[in-house]
Amino acid sequence: SWEPLPHWDSARWCDLCEALCLQLVDIQWKLGMAVSSDTCRSLNCPYVMVMLKVADPSGQICQKSFEMTIPQFQNLHSHFKDIAAVMETV
Amino acid sequence: MATVVTAEHFSNLQLLLKAPSKDAVREVCVQSHQGPSRIFTENTAAKFNISPSQAAQLVESLHTLSRHVVFHNLTSPEQILALFPESFHSSLKNLITKILLENSATWRTEALSNQISLPQLKEMDWRVDLVTSSESVSRMAVPTCLLQLKDTRCRHDEAVSTVTMELSRESLDTMLDGLGRIRDQLSVVAGK
Repeated sequence: SWEPLPHWDSARWCDLCEALCLQLVDIQWKLGMAVSSDTCRSLNCPYVMVMLKVADPSGQICQKSFEMTIPQFQNLHSHFKDIAAVMETV
Repeated sequence: MATVVTAEHFSNLQLLLKAPSKDAVREVCVQSHQGPSRIFTENTAAKFNISPSQAAQLVESLHTLSRHVVFHNLTSPEQILALFPESFHSSLKNLITKILLENSATWRTEALSNQISLPQLKEMDWRVDLVTSSESVSRMAVPTCLLQLKDTRCRHDEAVSTVTMELSRESLDTMLDGLGRIRDQLSVVAGK
């Protein structure tokens, strides 16, 4: 299960991440359309579902799934493009 | 969750004729959509000078009617007016219809926000480091990304779950490839 970590603090977060050493190993995704629900008969609401698999140093795999609206997905995509651009330059 | 509005519900709505003002009708319609509460029911009983059980029936009937309007996305006066029995008080019918139309867009937005879903991604923080050495390699320059994702169980949930992970250049490329495919599929769907 996922344990909540303390609020982002740069130095401490680094220590914790080193201790955890979780590595992203896989990403799976699904693009779907919410058609109907118990509160709205007609929804027509697109969403993106992502599942991330991470491995600890022992090789044990954990997975984390979450959902995003389209604007949230676009924001996420933008973040990752920023990360890639930075990693190109270091 | 009942969305069928019955003759008994409309009969209970006639209790609105005891309202002290149109604003009181508006207030009870809007509050009832959120669902019953003991305090709200007691206040309604006092304000309308009706019994608590009558107030509870009125609130439940308004709740059923407003949920029905949202569920079926009734957006025109004609659609809502058609729900009422022919014998229903004409002015009250028009007032209730007007109030439902005023609020239905907001209620639909709230319903969309409160759908059941997987945890919602709330926040993403990241940092890029340059690994310069390790126990096995004395000198190197390997970029790595530390990524922290926070999500909530649903859009209005305050409890946040956090996961932190490290991404190598390869896993970042895999992530970008996947996100690019999602973006391409969204473009295809949008174009249809």
